[in-house]
Amino acid sequence: MKELARNAPGKMILAMGNDAIVRGGLEAGIGYFSTYPGTPASEIGEGYAALLDEFPHLHAEFSVNEHVAAHGALGASWAGVRAMTTMKHVGMNVAAEVLHFAAYTGVKAGLVVIIGSDPGATSSTSEQDDRWYSLHTHLPILEPSTIQEAKDFTVRAFEISERYNLPVILNAPSKLCHNIGSLILGALPKRFVGTGGGRFDRNPSRYINLFAGSVANHKKAMEHKEHLRADIPSLSLNQVFKGSGSTGFISSSVNFSYLKESLSLLDIDAPIMKLGITHPLNADEIAAFAGKLTRLFVVEDLEGFLEFQIKALLYEHNVLISIEGKNIFPPYGELDVDTITIALAKALEKPLPPSMERALTLEKKLTAGIPPRQGSFCIGCPHRATVYSIVKATDRSAIFAGDIGCYTLSSLPPFRAFDWVTCMNCGVGIGQGMRQVIGDEPIVAYVGDSTFFHSGIPGLINAVQQNADMVLVILDNKWVAMTGHQPSPTTESSPRGEKFSPVDLKLLLKSVGVRYVRTANPFNIKATISTIKDALCEKGGVRVIIAEAECALQNERRKKYEPSPYERYHQIEPDICQKCNECYVQLGCPAIRKSGEGDAFYYYIEEALCVNCGACRDLCPNTAISLVEIRRGKAAS
Amino acid sequence: MRYDILICGIGGQGAISLGTILKLAAIRDGIGVVGAERRGGAQREGVVTSNVRYYPHNPNNTSAPISGLIPAGGADMMIAMEPLEALRQIRYLNESSVVIINNRPLMPVHVRIGDFSYPSLDEIYARIKEATPLVHIFDIDELSLAYFHSLRQVNTISLGLAYALGNLPVSKTAIIDTLTELLKNSKDAIDAFARGCETAKCS
Ligand code: SF4
Ligand code: SF4
Repeated sequence: MKELARNAPGKMILAMGNDAIVRGGLEAGIGYFSTYPGTPASEIGEGYAALLDEFPHLHAEFSVNEHVAAHGALGASWAGVRAMTTMKHVGMNVAAEVLHFAAYTGVKAGLVVIIGSDPGATSSTSEQDDRWYSLHTHLPILEPSTIQEAKDFTVRAFEISERYNLPVILNAPSKLCHNIGSLILGALPKRFVGTGGGRFDRNPSRYINLFAGSVANHKKAMEHKEHLRADIPSLSLNQVFKGSGSTGFISSSVNFSYLKESLSLLDIDAPIMKLGITHPLNADEIAAFAGKLTRLFVVEDLEGFLEFQIKALLYEHNVLISIEGKNIFPPYGELDVDTITIALAKALEKPLPPSMERALTLEKKLTAGIPPRQGSFCIGCPHRATVYSIVKATDRSAIFAGDIGCYTLSSLPPFRAFDWVTCMNCGVGIGQGMRQVIGDEPIVAYVGDSTFFHSGIPGLINAVQQNADMVLVILDNKWVAMTGHQPSPTTESSPRGEKFSPVDLKLLLKSVGVRYVRTANPFNIKATISTIKDALCEKGGVRVIIAEAECALQNERRKKYEPSPYERYHQIEPDICQKCNECYVQLGCPAIRKSGEGDAFYYYIEEALCVNCGACRDLCPNTAISLVEIRRGKAAS
Repeated sequence: MRYDILICGIGGQGAISLGTILKLAAIRDGIGVVGAERRGGAQREGVVTSNVRYYPHNPNNTSAPISGLIPAGGADMMIAMEPLEALRQIRYLNESSVVIINNRPLMPVHVRIGDFSYPSLDEIYARIKEATPLVHIFDIDELSLAYFHSLRQVNTISLGLAYALGNLPVSKTAIIDTLTELLKNSKDAIDAFARGCETAKCS
């Protein structure tokens, strides 16, 4: 990671797409960075957080949500400091209000918004394509296709932002963020402007958007965009690759490299236009490319944002050729080399390469019916213990109002204890509305600490004000764990001992009018079950249970810095175990394993994996699981 | 030289870091390298793959001539940290792919709860051998536990096996230097790499 800080122009390093964006920001001399972490872009925030010693001028923060993060970055830009804010695609929905004003007011120093998109939804609840937002925010979009471009385009984005007085979006799909390859470093600036270096110049016509002033700013935003549109051919962000024949391709982002590989597998040599800027588009430039063709394929993920724009502008230019895209490529899911190759082979009546044909046939024949493998909680995760207790305490006769975080895994087997999951704070939000119209069935809502602070407080206040009868379990694991352990507002200290200033959650709950608050240690399963049962028995209003235990991975890291004088391990006594399956199936800790065939099997705990959370020991109805503690250096137990 | 490696396993087994070591070694040797990581939604237990694609480096054109994803039938080597995962990724194999499998089945949740049964290991290996005869099976977990009393070296032992059994374009020196720079506990890792090489040669 520290290689990203070196001023070594020309040096080749190995970088992930996200690292390349971090470096791009440094080469552009950013002074302000904000983010609410979200996969696939989370590592960008971690990158800056790790470089604060090397770049003391830089303010980098994990903000409470994307709306706040975007506002903060806009403030820094208005004060003349180059600013970057990053979010995952759905975060754009939260930041959208801020960013709809950003083209109206314009920027003073460059403002770049990095959006980590997730076609295929490998780590998201939706695959929305944020590029469509630009049709009404008017923010230009750059789409790098390689690791190198991820850096180079980030630098360019700042220049374009300043030159055209617009914030610029850099769209980075997971297949770029998590791609790894070589990166050649550029130079770092001689001077950085950041903390303390900014200055706000009052300018009411620009910053006060009211009545006629707002209309005037709207007009300006449109003019800025048209100015940029006219200049696009001179910016050399787009590239044409020559080829033979009258069938051609337009693509952008990583799909361009997939397309090139597909064409070479299919032995097709055709002209390709690679778009580095995908909004706005310059009609003359596109028409000059497409005018020589009879058939044009647009290769992109999701619902056809480029195809939509290109069809409209070629129609206006009277270039009436066949334009295809979403008729052969799926408008959902993620394109990859294989999908593109298969779709193009069919459309162009070409045979698939024999090795691919063979491999796909074998896959179909040989993998049918094999068990799927879904994710699960980490070993020793407090959420696993909490959801186990929720299932036991309710006997599944409750509505489970799910939410977003690591605990979303509660929706999967063996628990299946989520009735819905959509966006942040859908648990308390949807639950409290449903409460007003359904009968007696209890509602148990989930929320994690970070999700709660992100946007859950208004939902909770509403639930309290409307006297919604429900139980809300706050799964407080002290970190934004799912995205790689960024601090959350309840973080007390890092594993290395660095101190934070945590929000007093209980005081906050009290002050918004929650009268029933209990805490539970999730690993004490029996006690947690009875705490949940008590809350369910209590009638009326919102009852909150704080299930409080640090994320298992962070807790393990902490143990490295604070070694225990005891050696501990858990074991299952095979003679006592009744094979009731509570630990192995219902709790499903991956450290508990099965050995032996047929009826002669037994369960054991893999010592190399168990982190001694104690959950299985507490729940075993036959007390077959015990904790062995040995003082290091002594023999006694 | 072009050489494509697909590493597959389960979240937490070190498939991603094995991919990173193989890529860093290429940078040391001045070989072009690219490759995407794919991780399922979860921290643990989900399907994880790492693509490592080597290509001849061209100093005049630094952008990779290939994409980060190995196409179906394109892997020269597969390193599978778990048998069922090797079968799941069979679409990447061709008749000359070299396959290394850690002979340690891990039961997915769907098997634990009885919705699916885990195919027998004989069945799994017979199916993979329909794709390629070059299948090498080792109990890598056992090797790591026996030599290092932990599962931490599973991926570095795999690295040694891969180095000995495949035609990796990266040099041994580059791998060892990478381990030294990257890992705190590099002595064990280098040892494990050597154990992997030896085990492969004796097999
Ligand atoms: S919960 Fe106890 S009795 Fe039941 S399978 Fe586990 S160890 Fe055996
Ligand atoms: S104590 Fe039990 S539940 Fe906790 S990590 Fe160990 S085996 Fe898993």
